[in-house]
Amino acid sequence: MRTVFKRELAAYFRTPTGYVFIAIFLGLSGLIFYLGNLRTFSGDLLTFLAQLRLLCMLLCPMLTMRLISEERQKKTDQLLMTSPVSLGSIVLGKYLAAATVMLITILLLNGFSLIIILYGKLYVGEWFVGHLGFVLQSLAFIALDLFMSCFGKNQITGAIAGFAANFFLWLTDLLAGQVSIGWIRDSLNFVSLYARYEPFQLGQLSYASILFFVSFIAVCLVCTFRVLDARRFSEGGAA
Amino acid sequence: MIDIQNVSKRYGAVYALHDVSLHVEKGTVLGLLGQNGAGKTTLLNILTGYLAPTTGRVLLDGADVLLEPEEARRHLGYLPEQPPLYDEMTVREYLRYAAALRNVEKRSIPGHVDEIMELCGLSHMQHRLLSHLSKGYRQRAGFAQALCGDPEVLVLDEPTVGLDPKQIVEIRSLIQKMGKGRTVIFSSHILTEVQQLCDEVVILHDGKIKTTLSMNDEVDSSQNINVLLTVAAAEGSIVSRVNGLEGVRKVQLQPSRRDGQTTMLITFHQQNEPERRLFALLSGLSIPILHLSREESSLEQLFLKAISE
Repeated sequence: MRTVFKRELAAYFRTPTGYVFIAIFLGLSGLIFYLGNLRTFSGDLLTFLAQLRLLCMLLCPMLTMRLISEERQKKTDQLLMTSPVSLGSIVLGKYLAAATVMLITILLLNGFSLIIILYGKLYVGEWFVGHLGFVLQSLAFIALDLFMSCFGKNQITGAIAGFAANFFLWLTDLLAGQVSIGWIRDSLNFVSLYARYEPFQLGQLSYASILFFVSFIAVCLVCTFRVLDARRFSEGGAA
Repeated sequence: MIDIQNVSKRYGAVYALHDVSLHVEKGTVLGLLGQNGAGKTTLLNILTGYLAPTTGRVLLDGADVLLEPEEARRHLGYLPEQPPLYDEMTVREYLRYAAALRNVEKRSIPGHVDEIMELCGLSHMQHRLLSHLSKGYRQRAGFAQALCGDPEVLVLDEPTVGLDPKQIVEIRSLIQKMGKGRTVIFSSHILTEVQQLCDEVVILHDGKIKTTLSMNDEVDSSQNINVLLTVAAAEGSIVSRVNGLEGVRKVQLQPSRRDGQTTMLITFHQQNEPERRLFALLSGLSIPILHLSREESSLEQLFLKAISE
């Protein structure tokens, strides 16, 4: 697992992908921070982090799109899948590499917290809860997008599939508000990453939400594992 | 060492492989011969565990490649048809990665990689990015990757395809060198290559094994031997005399480059040293021999016969 993780992480920074992701994420975050906090003299970190969800939705597929589909396209998966490494380690190594890039970005994002500390007041509890929720949600997006990148050999297809899945989860939130049938509304609310994030946005440490995000990540990784494993049975030899 | 048991692979109603069974002893170099689409790549992908068979199983040194993948693949080095190279890595980084994947101990990796690069003639290219390598060197890098971890079984899928003649010779000699003490399976549709490198040949056609033969026995002894001869003499006087030689089955005239020369393809049947007989005849007639070579077409005949059945 460590071998795959190290290669994947290094690959983000050997190619422009890692730098471009971090730069776009921080650049757009800066714009949101300027509009939402600096211009209004607001030290509200929780609202700022909640607004970054949109960035996660748009940008996380950029991190995951190459992880599976590029390997298939360039047929480098033949090296991985015929080496004495378990498929679980491969999936986990790839996921952790993308998650690490996201965590580095979030670490750098704390520059904005520093501005709030310098010019206003930042509550440690608020900072902790806000960041915990944001980290969990980002990692959930990455797990979902990694799963979606299994579909299609092309990186762009992987990215579009990831974006579509993220968008669908966002829609579930809107749909839930429109549905009058109780159990459907409850189900839609149950899978909504956004509804699960709400307690963190309010500064509440919700164990139910933490458990949900961790389970969501685990289910996505298991699904990725299952799809890759099943592909051995369905793929063509020369494909 | 390798035991392929009743392996079939089906895509919908189409069989890519149909009930293929094969046993390969340790230390054998086995050539998998077949036309494009015969099922060679599918068989190699199943053998390496990249694909799962619809029915049947594959054992590598007793371990099932699907049920005990990590144990089975410990013995395996695989060079697919397209070398699995990460373009953003240098040759050295890539081989270090491949060695780590194959569980080579961390502290022995640098020495191990140096050794492999030396063997494959990649040492002077070690700091080059894989994306900057020529096709020949990319193939070498793929080959070097397959050697990481010192596997007992080497599986090579059309290792010389798309290379220029010089690169083909280099890769072939590498296979010969690496094949010593290892079990090697490689696929090809180049007959001379198989004849040159293999101990055993399996001819695959339409997903089925048509023939399995040993290069040392069957190909050379049971079949005809063709000899190509060019002499400095007119056609009429020589053809009838050659036809009269013992063991000659057929003489086919070939186009000659110059006037006063005759070129012919002579087929001997189960004949030892046909060259010696020809030399004795022609020296007795004081006819100069301009060219005399053996045409290794016996495998070609076997192949064509096998796929037409």
